[in-house]
Amino acid sequence: MLGWGVDRLRADMSRLLAILFHQGVLDEQFLQLQQLQDESSPNFVSEVVNIYFHESEKLLRNLRGLLMDREFSDYKKMGIHLNQFMGSSSSIGANRVRNVCVAFRAASEQNNRAGCLRALELLEHEYCYLKSKLHELFQMEQQRVLAAGVRYPLQQQH
Amino acid sequence: MAALQRVASSLSTSASSYGSCKGSGADVMVSDQFPAGLRVLVVDDDITCLRLLEKMLRRCLYHVTTCSRATAALELLRERKGCFDVVLSDVHMPDMDGFKLLEHVGLEMDLPVIMMSADGRTSAVMRGIRHGACDYLIKPIREEELKNIWQHVIRKKWNENKEQDHSGSFEDNDRHKRGNDDAENASSVNEGAEGRSIAKEDDDTDLENDDPSASKKPRVVWSVELHQQFVSAVNQLGIDKAVPKRILELMNVPGLTRENVASHLQGRVSLGFWCSSSPDVRFAYGGAGEAPTSYKFRLYLKRLNGVAQQGGMSNTFCGPLDSNGKLNPLGRFDIQALAASGQIPPQTLAALHAELFGRPAGGLVTTVDQPALLQASMQTPKCIPAEHGVPFRQPNISKHFPQNVISVEEVASGFGAWPSNSVGTAGPSSNLGGMNSQNGTMLMDILQQQQQQQSQQQSSLPEPSRSINVQPSCLVVPAQPSAAFQAGNSSASVNQNCSYNRNAMIDYSLLSPQSNNSSLNIGQISNGDLKTTGVSVYSGSGSISPLSSCSVKPDNTSQQGRSSTMTIRAVRQLPGLGPNSSSFQGSYGAKSSEVLDQGPLRNLGFVGKCTSIPSRLAVDEFESMMSNLDHEKFYMETNGNKVKQEPNIEFMDNSRVGIPMFQPLPPVSSDLMSVFTE
Repeated sequence: MLGWGVDRLRADMSRLLAILFHQGVLDEQFLQLQQLQDESSPNFVSEVVNIYFHESEKLLRNLRGLLMDREFSDYKKMGIHLNQFMGSSSSIGANRVRNVCVAFRAASEQNNRAGCLRALELLEHEYCYLKSKLHELFQMEQQRVLAAGVRYPLQQQH
Repeated sequence: MAALQRVASSLSTSASSYGSCKGSGADVMVSDQFPAGLRVLVVDDDITCLRLLEKMLRRCLYHVTTCSRATAALELLRERKGCFDVVLSDVHMPDMDGFKLLEHVGLEMDLPVIMMSADGRTSAVMRGIRHGACDYLIKPIREEELKNIWQHVIRKKWNENKEQDHSGSFEDNDRHKRGNDDAENASSVNEGAEGRSIAKEDDDTDLENDDPSASKKPRVVWSVELHQQFVSAVNQLGIDKAVPKRILELMNVPGLTRENVASHLQGRVSLGFWCSSSPDVRFAYGGAGEAPTSYKFRLYLKRLNGVAQQGGMSNTFCGPLDSNGKLNPLGRFDIQALAASGQIPPQTLAALHAELFGRPAGGLVTTVDQPALLQASMQTPKCIPAEHGVPFRQPNISKHFPQNVISVEEVASGFGAWPSNSVGTAGPSSNLGGMNSQNGTMLMDILQQQQQQQSQQQSSLPEPSRSINVQPSCLVVPAQPSAAFQAGNSSASVNQNCSYNRNAMIDYSLLSPQSNNSSLNIGQISNGDLKTTGVSVYSGSGSISPLSSCSVKPDNTSQQGRSSTMTIRAVRQLPGLGPNSSSFQGSYGAKSSEVLDQGPLRNLGFVGKCTSIPSRLAVDEFESMMSNLDHEKFYMETNGNKVKQEPNIEFMDNSRVGIPMFQPLPPVSSDLMSVFTE
């Protein structure tokens, strides 16, 4: 179990990544993010992505709250939330989430409540998909690091 | 960083080929380190982005402080004034709008602020610009973009120095006035074109204008005609005296209020400041935000001075052509490249200019036409009269300086290079290895103006310290064997021009026929000659830098030891930019042009005031890192010799200073002298 799985895990990871890129879930910004991971911050990607998850869930809650207010939806505030969502999503390369945000924002600017609701559904869906896939990726990464660590004790850093 | 390193390395290699650069290694080290340690404050309520930015900035070796709340950031900035070089701020933040923060920082700390947002719509970017952001980054932000933010720090410092120059030289105002006018002319030309293209957007931007003050004043549509009136009024007044009230009086347009003029003035300034980097900004021009406070107003006015070359020049050349603001320099490059390669006939260029400027056939157009003539005349360089003496395209000059008797061609190239420098297009042109037709034409204009204006120049004798410029001119003279007569004229004019140093920069970019500044131009031209020589020494690629250095040199000579070192630095910077310009452009796009622009600007400031040197030191250090001193020194030496030999007594003071520092180059100087005496 230890050591021999490294190559296979690496192959699985790159396959998963390729699929995510192919689906447009991720874009090259994610690669940028990966490149930022170095010796000084070996877990940088998962660290940032976890922050992103945390923040995004707050934003999604807020958005839903704003839309559920039937009498009055604060579209301006919605736009601000969406802007932030767009910024963070594009920063980690969550391409599809970002695209939905753009559509969402357009709907909110038109005070299109139905459109906003649809977009919110879609956003939540996309976000969940992204989250599950990235979790999958990180798990493989963790296993890989573990396996590699056993195989090359000198390089074990974690 | 990479670009810098490349510059440095290319310089060092060229230097090594001549074997005259002991300090090159050390210089490279410095240039490697320069942006490192830049103190950046990042403000973003989005923690994800904050973390990412922090990481990226650290990888750029900046010193990073992060803050997730705008109010906290403002407190931090107030507590630790002077502890930050640049602020990166998100636009939308819950506790305080990013623009609010921007205004506070601009007024209280006067730091460069870079706005960031995922919202890249024109209206949003426009708001950022209107509030005075020095850049607007659209998320996702890439590391490459952050590598370059140091430029804003340097640019701001330069601009501040220029402001100091202004405030410190009141007694010179009259003398400088002509130069200012020219600068204004140039910018006005550019803006005339802008006004045309922007007129439509004017209303749109206004709708989006959410500044409360905008509603206070009646709306005025700035038509092209109205704008031209405005510009001519500003020209008449000069930058320092162009207050809204007087502009209004001069314009004498019924219904126009002082506020209208003030806001237009501000819009105009911000336009000038920005048009080189973003086309969107142009809209701001029409939209002209709130009436500025008097403080801001003055600040902007002063900035305009320094900015005119950047924004204005880029407009002149690529103006409407570039659809992508960030690619401005590239666009410029393309045009010039095409022109250089002969794919664009001069007529087409002329037409482009006419289109851009909204003027049928101003000086620029004529300049464009002339190159064609020049080309024809190129074949017989010796016969070239002063006006036609500048061939616009040149092969690389890579001869050893001492051996070189400077041929007319080289001189011409120097001229070409210089104008391009001021324009900020020098980089591209150097890449091509040929001179832009425009540059050539510009030179031509200058030469022509020289003759016309010699009388004028005489009237305006420079102060002794400023006369230093003469040295470069002297060099020029000898350099042109065939055109010795011309050179002589140019040198004389140069001396007189020195007093205008600052203005000269602006003038070049403008090169309007009307300008009285021709004298200034001449001075720079002389520099250009020097530059060429310098170029020949190195490898032809760095032609730009020598010029700038030349102009700086004179100043330094008066100040001796310290100043001399400073000049050297300045010189270095330019060469670095020149040869490496290709790399800059590739990686940074618009920024390269800005960097180029800075070179000339700085020189101007330098020349203009010796007193402010200490403040400049920091800037100088940066610059020095960029290129090698050795070459410049070598070049300087030649200048010093020439200067000594000059018949003019007025300049002797300067020459004295320079001479001790540098040993004369016997062969060259003698040749030059003989020419000169003739």
